[in-house]
Amino acid sequence: MKAVLSIARGMYLELFRRKDFYVMLICMLALLSILASQRYFNVEGITRYLRDFGYTVVMLFSFLIAVIVSASQIPWEIESGTIYPLIAKPVSRLTIVTAKFFGSFMTGGAAFVAYYAVFVLFCAAQGEGFSVVLFAQAFYLGILFIAMVSAISLFFSVFMTMSAAVTIMMLVYFFVVNFGDALRKYVLGSEGIQFIFGCGIYYLLPHFDFFDMRIRLTHEWGVLPVWILVAITAYTGVYIALLIFCSSALLEKREL
Amino acid sequence: MNEAIKIEHLFHTYHTGKISTDAINDMTLSVPKGQIFGFLGPNGAGKTTTIKYLLGIFKPKRGTVAVLGGSPSEVEARQKMGYMPENAEYYKYLTPRELLRMYGGVCGLGGTELEKRIDMLLGTVDLIKESDRILKTFSKGMKQRVSFAQSLINDPDLLILDEPTGGLDPVSRKRMRESLLALKREGKTIFFSSHELSEVELISDSIAIVNRGRLLAEGKVSDIVTLKGEKQSLENYFLEIIEEAA
Repeated sequence: MKAVLSIARGMYLELFRRKDFYVMLICMLALLSILASQRYFNVEGITRYLRDFGYTVVMLFSFLIAVIVSASQIPWEIESGTIYPLIAKPVSRLTIVTAKFFGSFMTGGAAFVAYYAVFVLFCAAQGEGFSVVLFAQAFYLGILFIAMVSAISLFFSVFMTMSAAVTIMMLVYFFVVNFGDALRKYVLGSEGIQFIFGCGIYYLLPHFDFFDMRIRLTHEWGVLPVWILVAITAYTGVYIALLIFCSSALLEKREL
Repeated sequence: MNEAIKIEHLFHTYHTGKISTDAINDMTLSVPKGQIFGFLGPNGAGKTTTIKYLLGIFKPKRGTVAVLGGSPSEVEARQKMGYMPENAEYYKYLTPRELLRMYGGVCGLGGTELEKRIDMLLGTVDLIKESDRILKTFSKGMKQRVSFAQSLINDPDLLILDEPTGGLDPVSRKRMRESLLALKREGKTIFFSSHELSEVELISDSIAIVNRGRLLAEGKVSDIVTLKGEKQSLENYFLEIIEEAA
């Protein structure tokens, strides 16, 4: 555990000394400030727009940080030659991959916490009140989303270059968000081998829709039942554990 | 067990499309404990591939490799091993202290014991004043010294160094030489690859010369350079043996 935390801490420190995080934070502040200022011009329904847009920006920026940080870890270590002294230390590949996952997750998670805090402050400043439980649930699912994204990007980066891993991750995200529902409908309407094959793909793909609270937050729909949160947590945990295991097996086999 | 490193009948072939290149061809080598061992060869001789076997990065398909009595692919065998790569670009937004803290943690060290060791190592590599500056601002030689410090963080019994003096100025080179000799006096085994033959001659107890994956010569420096009767410089001997094998 000490090895995992040491590597993860190093990654975390690196991010907060780089400019990426601050650039996105400033962009977000600027965008939300412009949107929030519309209230003074009596634009109707601005609180909903602010929540909708703010939540999307928080998720997008945190997603980008998590993908870039996690997809760059292994390829960068190989390119810079630092993977060798790390492998020479008394740690297994599983420990290295787990540490890289935790580092990426901590970094992406910290960025998400900062962005989400800004978003909540902007929402609170509207003076219309909001459901704390609902916002807390959205926050929790956002954290799980970052963990999932970090694990998938890291998995791709074990056998791809950084740019390829980032591109594939973006494509997977785009496909799941835009065609996930269509795939589900197709699978439900199919039979035999097509059904089995379709089910395989459907359940293999990460369900990013599980974590999306945008509409619920925007329209102040009720809070999620606890069992759904528990189920999503279990799903995320199993998915991440499998990805870490597969990533370490691939790294073990890869000729560095 | 008197050997720190034992390689027996090791083979390695790289495959690029339909082309196969033998990087290591039936290599048998042993390095006794407590020695400074120079591993020499021109570019593409198989030095780095051999080092990758010693680090457990490659697992032997043909032949055997043992370090400190165990297989390097096992975590236990790497407990007392340190490695300094050639020209590694460490995490540029970390300070040397943070970097050493990270590698120390990876080796299971922590608390005041680790902090004391970090201070000691930063002193050894003469980077105390720069210990809180980020690595991005460091020169190549300074990075090389940080790299040397990280290789010693777990107080290894076996130290594997890839071109340790490359990029160092004469003063740093001398300090590195002194550090290696001090480590030897502590009973450590040092295995290093180098192109700097004069450096090798100055500090090595034994050497091995490889080319195209084959071991061409192995033994004490003094014995090797006088093999053909008259004593000559290691550089002349090295050039001669490489040309003969070509």
